[in-house]
Amino acid sequence: MSNGQKLWQIFREQDGKPVDLSAKSPVAGVSRRTFLEVLGYSTAALTLSGCRAPQQKIIPYLKQPVEFTPGVSSWFASVCGGCSASCGVLVKVRDGRPIKLEGNPDHPLSSGGLCALAHGMVFGLYDPERLRQPLIGSRPATWEQIDQEITQKLAAIKQSGGKVRLLTGPTTGPTSLETIQKFLSQFSDAKHITYQPVSTDAIRQAHLRSHGTNAIPSYRFDKARLVISFSADFLGTWISPVQFTRGYAKARSLQNGEREMLRHVQFESRMSLTGSNADTRVKVSPAEETQALIYLAKLVATSNEANGAGGTSALPVAEQLATFEPARLNQKTRTAVERIAKDLMKPQGDGLIVSGSADADVQYLVNFINSAAGNYGNTVDLAASSASNHSSDQDIVELVRQMNAGEIAALIVSGVNPAYDYFDSQSFIHGTQKVPLKVSLNSTLDETSSLADYVCPQSHFLEAWDDVEPARGTFSVNQPTIAPLFQTRAFQESLLRWGGDGRTFYEVLRQSWREKLFPRQKQYTNFDEFWDQTLQKGVFTPESSAIDTPAFKSDGLEQTIARLISISGDTPDGLGLVLYQKVSLRDGQYANNPWLQELPDPITKITWDNYASVSPRYAATTGLEEGRVVRISKGPAWIEVPVHIQPGQHDDVVAIALGYGRTKAGKAGNNVGANAYAFVAFTEGTFRYQTAGIKLEKTSNRIEFAQSQTKDSMEDRPLVRELALADYTKGKGETEEEYGSLWSPHDYPEHKWGMAVDLSACVGCAACVVSCQAENNVPVVGKDEVRRRREMHWIRIDRYFEGDREDPKVFYQPVMCQQCDNASCESVCPVLATVHSSEGLNMQVYNRCVGTRYCENNCPYKVRRFNWFEYPHSDPIANLALNPDVTVRSRGVMEKCTFCVQRIEEVKIRARNEGRAINDNEIQPACQQSCPANAIIFGDLTDVKSRVAQLKKSGRNYTLLDELNERPPTSYLAKVRNSEEV
Amino acid sequence: MSLRTAQIISLLVTLIGVAVVWQGSNFRGLGNQQGYQPAQPINFSHKVHAGDNQIQCLYCHSSADKSNVAGIPAASTCMNCHTKILKDSPEIQKIVAALAQNKPVEWVKVNDLPDHVAFNHSRHVTAGVKCQLCHGPVETMDRVEQFDALSMGFCVACHRTHREVTLDENGRPTVTKEATPKRLMASTDCSVCHH
Repeated sequence: MSNGQKLWQIFREQDGKPVDLSAKSPVAGVSRRTFLEVLGYSTAALTLSGCRAPQQKIIPYLKQPVEFTPGVSSWFASVCGGCSASCGVLVKVRDGRPIKLEGNPDHPLSSGGLCALAHGMVFGLYDPERLRQPLIGSRPATWEQIDQEITQKLAAIKQSGGKVRLLTGPTTGPTSLETIQKFLSQFSDAKHITYQPVSTDAIRQAHLRSHGTNAIPSYRFDKARLVISFSADFLGTWISPVQFTRGYAKARSLQNGEREMLRHVQFESRMSLTGSNADTRVKVSPAEETQALIYLAKLVATSNEANGAGGTSALPVAEQLATFEPARLNQKTRTAVERIAKDLMKPQGDGLIVSGSADADVQYLVNFINSAAGNYGNTVDLAASSASNHSSDQDIVELVRQMNAGEIAALIVSGVNPAYDYFDSQSFIHGTQKVPLKVSLNSTLDETSSLADYVCPQSHFLEAWDDVEPARGTFSVNQPTIAPLFQTRAFQESLLRWGGDGRTFYEVLRQSWREKLFPRQKQYTNFDEFWDQTLQKGVFTPESSAIDTPAFKSDGLEQTIARLISISGDTPDGLGLVLYQKVSLRDGQYANNPWLQELPDPITKITWDNYASVSPRYAATTGLEEGRVVRISKGPAWIEVPVHIQPGQHDDVVAIALGYGRTKAGKAGNNVGANAYAFVAFTEGTFRYQTAGIKLEKTSNRIEFAQSQTKDSMEDRPLVRELALADYTKGKGETEEEYGSLWSPHDYPEHKWGMAVDLSACVGCAACVVSCQAENNVPVVGKDEVRRRREMHWIRIDRYFEGDREDPKVFYQPVMCQQCDNASCESVCPVLATVHSSEGLNMQVYNRCVGTRYCENNCPYKVRRFNWFEYPHSDPIANLALNPDVTVRSRGVMEKCTFCVQRIEEVKIRARNEGRAINDNEIQPACQQSCPANAIIFGDLTDVKSRVAQLKKSGRNYTLLDELNERPPTSYLAKVRNSEEV
Repeated sequence: MSLRTAQIISLLVTLIGVAVVWQGSNFRGLGNQQGYQPAQPINFSHKVHAGDNQIQCLYCHSSADKSNVAGIPAASTCMNCHTKILKDSPEIQKIVAALAQNKPVEWVKVNDLPDHVAFNHSRHVTAGVKCQLCHGPVETMDRVEQFDALSMGFCVACHRTHREVTLDENGRPTVTKEATPKRLMASTDCSVCHH
């Protein structure tokens, strides 16, 4: 090279002359190479001289608590505070830090399941952007200062008799309600207003009309054989999704040799998580949906079963309905309604009709059908009615009116954010200017807190005492698992201070339980024992006498039906808007949680954004393409969002998710997506999430979605296999071809871990994804990196659309590392960083990995994840959420699902220390533990009696891509749809 | 800067670096901390406690048979005896002061494994592995030092030879080298320690 010969590398495009590479470096005397040599020497020398391990400290307790063992996790039964459904949780506390929430199997409602949101709650505890001390205006203050000032101002209001309003989310805890009432009782005009941005108030109002009870019933999907849902997303976001998913999965389970299952029919306009799981999904516009419901009411009311054998009209509206003609419905929809009407009436009582409508009239009609079909007392339980999700839409509207009229003297807000999510947020913001005393008890400086005079941040639910009664007769205590990290306190404490009550809320809570709930049981004679047992179990269900379901009251039913008939007929054709919640962000309260932001939506697989979903046909006729930003407007409300083309959506409907477009959520949540709350309307006493007559205009912008799956089709490969129930009961099943192998089989002397994923149970809710993320310290990569397909989730849920794009069938398939016996990743790793264990695991050894990514390229299941960057672990507060049993991976290292090997090792060690064998089901990976549908089963395949080994004998068992002969111990159980044919 | 000057500078820097490295007695190779013997905030002698006075290791390191970490005793554990014994010693006074001021003692960690290693004390202690096998004759050390390299080779050497663990007639596991029917074994799977 240096002998003067001319070398060339590329031809310059302009002149075709070769580039001379032998030219000397411009710096005389030192060539580039020499410079690098010198640099290398000195760097190496300096590095070597610094090679001494940093000094580490061990700081033991001064007085170690007796029950505490360093390095061993303690579990505390508590309640999830994510939403008012209040599922039972077990909090894993390691060395004083709560690091994981898991479902409490003893809880009667959630029975061990948890949703994606709940798993994200741990991140919220360690969110560095939580408020760390109280604020007066925007300046930090002490609690003494703030208490003094607020107490003074409240005393003045007490004197003047001004109006005091406390605005909270749904509150179910008897002691919390008592504390609120006691605080408010000192004022002459005070009121507790409960508010939910996405409310189910219509159901409550309808039951007030139909049964005279102010209640949302408890829906027993586990007892139902036929579920008819009118756009109620009960598996995703509606009322108590975990409880409903548990019940639904139980009623559809085929894991124990069942030969029949619940049948699910969904009428809806957008593609929801629930609709995608239905056996029959009927695509209807909102107006058609109402007609379908009236038509169903007609068929039920005029059926022989409802009217007795004599055919005399026992039902009041039979005659009125008899003349109804569902003009909007096409033949397919009519047939579907006629069929379910027939099935619904025989036998009576095991059907269930639910509706997601926010129109109290629609809900009243639903109650009528449920009542006529004998479902009350069976699948619709008013006795154990749900106390969660109670809110009053009318009350907050009235409050905002009073605020603007200058009538409110003090507004105290706790746990809600109307400045962001109230439909007319400008009017709320304007109203606050006329309120002399505005106090926010929210835990962050969100849109509402930043308007307040005083911000008194409340503790995270993992730091505070509370009690809940999510369903009548089901009580739980929420116990703190860590002392408050910052200068925060529970909202009840604040109210007690301002009410002049010197007790702590813990004392109030115990006293209230001693007086009200302790007498309602006979098992314990000592209160302390009762209290300890309740805390340990996580739930208390007092013995209660059975309450008769009140009779259905049909006063006003005729007018209701008349109104519904007229509006469903009169609604103009044209584009309508449907607003919905995503399973990840729900109403947007937790928008600053990056785990939830990066969770791919089950249907669209889009992360970090909301969008306007339109049908493929609509997109084709109007020339819209994926990602085209459109302006959607109605009256003064408008929003600019990208378009997503959604198979299965109704042509006349645009669907947009709420919960996005926060401006003061924090670093992760600010300006992600756009805020669609402005399209919510307040009509006849309830918030409405559907609106007709919107305008859609194209803009010149187009964006690329951060989508984790861009291919929708299985391309005719049997990735997800499906059977019709009729065929399955006839014994039809999957057959596997046996292939020879070039490899000699592995020897598994002790265990062979395996997994079965029941695709018939899995609803695609994505709880497992966030659970895995929390357990395994999976980093968040951000929108831009997801666009580059670099998301890090160890388990993903593949979603496929098959068939007609306008009305497709949807399939979900959780895919994690399959831990293949003939693993293609193992044979290509040049440094033996991925090798097979003696227990059948495909181990990934981070400290050996040099990042060639050969394994990732050779993996047919595409489950390996590469650390392209050093993902931030710099925040000392956020790092407290890390699981100390799992290595935090660094840049340049490959990672993947390990079957939660840290849990396997933990149980193995425990069993060996105790000198016993491992029990079946003792090891549960994070994905399995809180799966609300029990779709994942893990265990030891060498134990033929283990549940997983038994399930693998099922006729539904098959392995993914079996033609590649990877021989994984992970297999899938084919999906069964409850229909005659697939 | 001529080539020669650059070479001389780099040589000098290298030599200084090497000198810095070798002058310390606690450098044995990259990451090897064998012989590391840091000064502790309190002049605690294992020789006096575990050697002369025969106090069981588990009395102070009470979670060694229950947890992955052996545990450093709480200050109150020291005072179980030292409210009576040598209570006026200046070293004991440090513990008294720590309790009085509510400021825990900050011990310096001697045996430190890398973050990607998950070692479990309880499995080894319960399987009958003597503490001294890894920690050396602690009962003779006035100031504790890292006895062995605690490298992966050190661990695996034992896991390879002591493969078989059997339970004796009292149900206590004992480590044997003989080939006995497979009961419990020290695994050499990577994922046993690296996860």
